[in-house]
Amino acid sequence: MDRSRGINDYEPGPVPSESRVDRYGFIKQNVSNSSAAEGLGKSREARRVRKWRKMIGVGGSDWKHYVRRKPHVVKRRIRKGIPDCLRGLVWQLISGSRDLLLMNPGVYEQLVIYETSASELDIIRDISRTFPTHVFFQQRHGPGQRSLYNVLKAYSVFDRAVGYVQGMGFLAGLLLLYMSEEDAFWLLVALLKGAVHAPMEGLYQVGLPLVQQYLFQFEHLVREHLPKLGEHFSREMINPSMYASQWFITVFSYSFPFPLALRIWDVFLFEGVKIVFKVGLALLKYCHDDLINLSFEKLIHALRNFPEDAMNPDILLPMAYSI
Amino acid sequence: MAHRVDHEYDYLFKIVLIGDSGVGKTNILSRFTRNEFCLESKSTIGVEFATRTLQVEGKTVKAQIWDTAGQERYRAITSAYYRGAVGALMVYDITKRQTFDNVQRWLRELRDHADSNIVIMMAGNKSDLNHLRAVTEEDGQALAEREGLSFLETSALEATNIEKAFQTILTEIYHIISKKALAAQEAAASTAIPGQGTTINVTDTSGNTKRGCCST
Repeated sequence: MDRSRGINDYEPGPVPSESRVDRYGFIKQNVSNSSAAEGLGKSREARRVRKWRKMIGVGGSDWKHYVRRKPHVVKRRIRKGIPDCLRGLVWQLISGSRDLLLMNPGVYEQLVIYETSASELDIIRDISRTFPTHVFFQQRHGPGQRSLYNVLKAYSVFDRAVGYVQGMGFLAGLLLLYMSEEDAFWLLVALLKGAVHAPMEGLYQVGLPLVQQYLFQFEHLVREHLPKLGEHFSREMINPSMYASQWFITVFSYSFPFPLALRIWDVFLFEGVKIVFKVGLALLKYCHDDLINLSFEKLIHALRNFPEDAMNPDILLPMAYSI
Repeated sequence: MAHRVDHEYDYLFKIVLIGDSGVGKTNILSRFTRNEFCLESKSTIGVEFATRTLQVEGKTVKAQIWDTAGQERYRAITSAYYRGAVGALMVYDITKRQTFDNVQRWLRELRDHADSNIVIMMAGNKSDLNHLRAVTEEDGQALAEREGLSFLETSALEATNIEKAFQTILTEIYHIISKKALAAQEAAASTAIPGQGTTINVTDTSGNTKRGCCST
């Protein structure tokens, strides 16, 4: 519900105690069993972090050199998941956003403070509807919501043809959990303008041309890789716009479990959009035998509510890599 | 949308939920199909889908409802969902004038992409926020009459008129369909027995349909 609100009336909302949020800061919906597994891997995690620190160097100084020398090692390690404490830094290094930031000093501040955007009201309307169950974004007009607003507004000025489109908030929100406003802004620029990989701005331009293209391609990939399911989908008149638009528009950050979304983003930033297709296909492949027996309505439901085991990154991602 | 006939229902009607972003479409849908309301709901990306089966004048009707993202740019994806829809719930927010002013654009959108016989109900949502009202009920009523739409003020939060809004649409659709079926039967009968007099027009059907929806 959109209760009336001015941007300035800061309301310190209820801040949940630590035990009520998971390790990523989301309010717990139900008690999950992940904490046991997390404890088990602590020493292994510490070893992994040490390896990563060596690879990156102080503040990322050795990174480029390392990637050039051992690209396959980097790729393999990223596919296993970037350690959470280094994620923000590594994301900036692999996306090319760090370079953009260094090349454009003061630009972000200029966009935030001095420019006005035609999208301001659209952005405000969606702020409280972006990761509403995360502690950082829950507080009305708190630091999380303000940062989110600033990044989105700055982008809508930076690229007026794109402006603000629903879905961009989830990208920005995800990034803001791992880096500062300015860093998040430049990472958004790197993605949409294509600093390293193909530009994503077509996902948000008028007509959503890249969404349409990706959905079309995905439909064909389903037919190619999972012909029986593809046939079943067309018999039941299911097309990817019914379930997969969000996958592409928000790169799985809209409704997928956060640990999975992060692992996908690790690979996405390093390898590009291919991983989104692969994860999508892996999900369908994993649930293939169930999906093939469902009729239209149950199919739609199943395609929007995958079982928990299908969304375990350590099961799903190896499957995705093999496609 | 005519799907294969199942034993679970007599009719299947496809309905679209449209209107500006943030007017409460998704909560109207969850209130109607699951009797749920979520204060912390996310903005809809693309389309969402839900169904509910209910009784309309003694028939079992399944409503298949597509909830669409409200932002203008999303129409590139969402307008495809108007095809085959026999009903539309067009929602605005009574606390936001702009969302009411945009109703005209949504009507144009329906005329461009939907079936010309589509049954349209306009809903002024968030009637629980009366103290923040920016659109009077009379304004809503007047527009509805001018455009020939059904109209209700609703509150998904308080579950006011949500049920009634869908009942009204579905009943109206049912009447149109049964009238068509009747006409088809008559046509079949008149061709079967050629030269059997002229067609009798039953003129007061419009009054009947209006009565029908309120009496349920």
